[in-house]
Amino acid sequence: MTQITESPTVGDIVATYRRRSLLRVALVAGAALALFITVLIDVITGPADLSFFRVAHVIFQPGVATPKEDVIIWDLRLPVAIMAVVVGAMLGVAGAEMQTILNNPLADPFTLGLSSAASFGAAVAIVLGWSVLPGIGALFVTVNAFAFAMVASMGLFLFTKLRGVSPEAMILVGIAMLFTFNALLAFLQYGASELQLAQLIFWQLGSLARATWAKVGICVVVLAVVLPYFLSKSWALTALRMGEDKAAALGVNVNGLRLMVLAGVSLLSAVAVSFVGAIAFVGLVGPHIARMIVGEDQRGFLPLSALAGALILSGTSIASKAITPGIVYPIGMITSLIGIPFFVSLILSQRKRHWQ
Amino acid sequence: MNTRFMSGFALTLAAIVISFTPATPAQAEALTLTDIAGREVTLPETPGRIILGEGRMMYAIAAISDGNPFEHIVGWKDDLVQFDPDAFRKFETAFPADAERMINFGNPYAGDFSIEAVLEADADLVLLDSGNLFKAEETGLIEKLDKAGVPVVFIDFRRNATENTVPSLLILGRVLGEEKGAAAFIDFYIAEMKKVANVVDNIPAEERPLVVIENAAGWQPDFCCWSFGPYNYGRFVELAGGKNFASTLENAYSVTLSMEGVIDADPDHVIGTGANWAEAKPEVTSTLLGYEGDPAVNAEKIEALAARPGFAELRAVKDGNYHSIYHQFYNSPYHFVAIQQIAKWLYPDDFEDLDPQDTFNRLHDKFMPYEASGQFWLSAN
Repeated sequence: MTQITESPTVGDIVATYRRRSLLRVALVAGAALALFITVLIDVITGPADLSFFRVAHVIFQPGVATPKEDVIIWDLRLPVAIMAVVVGAMLGVAGAEMQTILNNPLADPFTLGLSSAASFGAAVAIVLGWSVLPGIGALFVTVNAFAFAMVASMGLFLFTKLRGVSPEAMILVGIAMLFTFNALLAFLQYGASELQLAQLIFWQLGSLARATWAKVGICVVVLAVVLPYFLSKSWALTALRMGEDKAAALGVNVNGLRLMVLAGVSLLSAVAVSFVGAIAFVGLVGPHIARMIVGEDQRGFLPLSALAGALILSGTSIASKAITPGIVYPIGMITSLIGIPFFVSLILSQRKRHWQ
Repeated sequence: MNTRFMSGFALTLAAIVISFTPATPAQAEALTLTDIAGREVTLPETPGRIILGEGRMMYAIAAISDGNPFEHIVGWKDDLVQFDPDAFRKFETAFPADAERMINFGNPYAGDFSIEAVLEADADLVLLDSGNLFKAEETGLIEKLDKAGVPVVFIDFRRNATENTVPSLLILGRVLGEEKGAAAFIDFYIAEMKKVANVVDNIPAEERPLVVIENAAGWQPDFCCWSFGPYNYGRFVELAGGKNFASTLENAYSVTLSMEGVIDADPDHVIGTGANWAEAKPEVTSTLLGYEGDPAVNAEKIEALAARPGFAELRAVKDGNYHSIYHQFYNSPYHFVAIQQIAKWLYPDDFEDLDPQDTFNRLHDKFMPYEASGQFWLSAN
């Protein structure tokens, strides 16, 4: 039994397209609203008992705050809440574009070894006291983490230049780096003292507790540079997901695009992990959630990946405070617990294959 | 009942008789003891070549040894050199040849502590600290050493410091053949501990001030705060008559506090620990307390610590109750000095006549192979 479909009229196509665009805008707006609510909850919750109105008052009229409220809201809660959003977005975007250019659903800053490179860089600073840039004082753990992550992605970059940019080769080199850096990290952990180990654990499991306005600022700047670039390449990246040959046929310089996007992704993940430590899961699952909701079109997929990543991390920030008020838990171990139920329910509710 | 009493009495008598028998040094006589992990260990003879799982065990060994504390020691882990260089240099000055010959065996729980090196050094005892018992079991270290015929004895001055110090000193006294020194030091320890306990026992729970302990303040310049639950410095605070904040949150050795939680708790006192970590970790902002502690340097350091965001607005800081104390009291039998000083901070009137500095000096005069010096605590203005 064959069914002959009538070819749609031009008017139908236009109407469908408009509807889809509108839906995409609505979804992104909805996610942004949800994010706004989690940030609000993040800012009004904490061990100190401050009412919603008091918090709002202090934020919009900083002069009214007592010194204590000033410190709690402006120095402790707001930087953490905003850091969660920005870093979540950075990891979401980094994961989304890695999956896109490598054409692999398992790609994220973790899989390619960038996070473990950063952790190793931090461990070198913490355990051995070696600094990439001597004389920078307190920041040297962060700088080391950043330098090692950048070196790892540059290694990846060079390798792909040498051997041609096949996605399989990139993934395999990334995994090789992941294991190399993890092994090196284990070496350092073995010899670490009690205090060094405690410090390392917070690096490996991630923590927002070190957030400051300066770090938030750096993250915002990096995201503000990289995200518009990726958005400007939306159509080329969407084309890439249809297949390398098709993209090339549409006029996309596939290899050039891969290298540029890899550079952007490296910068995003290196900055993110060097400030908050290695946070698993966000970069992997954020994009998948976005893809299940809006599909592959980068104009919806990219913003929604950023928002999904930000939502996961913001939710985690709330949860990490709620377990035992007054105690800080590493957020890396909570991201998975928060994200997995949602992720699994999405997978189960999807009828069609979401990765093609 | 009666016969049991009699036999017990007879045993005691026998024990007294035995202990009065003049001891010959390094006698080839088996020694059976129960260590801090609750393991019964038999040493075929009084050990003469001992490896220390932590160099900081020298704090206790020096205090009970009559003469050269390095006499029976062949090697250690270099934590003393790394994290308390001031104390190491004290030992180095007093016993240069011995400090020189110490073999660094590295971390006993890491791969670099090789059984071969232990055998090569001809060691006949490895002393480990019980905080790492689980790791030692997990890595099979005890089994491997047993197989090689090197007994392992656990002692502890850190995990349950106040509970395990006396038994650990007794064990050290026996394996080092320094029972007399150990007994003398234990007497001193108990007397000094009681000076605080006898007063604090009468203070009702609701009058006890709230204290936040910041473990290794300034170790991570951009992060606050590690603290202790009802262990170690957390326990010291409780014994000194304070209410330890982290103990109210979690019954764990190590607790990571959030700055906001500290601000909200509004503690009466904040006490950070510090030591001369600057040589191993130049970026630390800690107070560099220890035998070479310089009051002028530390006064600047503590002001900076008290001025960190979040701390500056604390009532405790404004009232001049931000204190700093020598971190290594946490892993040594001299923690009674810390408890005395904390008690003095919490109850200046009750302990007006107590002079912890004098306690510290007497400790050195009576037991240590070197003089007291430097600075071990201070308060911010």
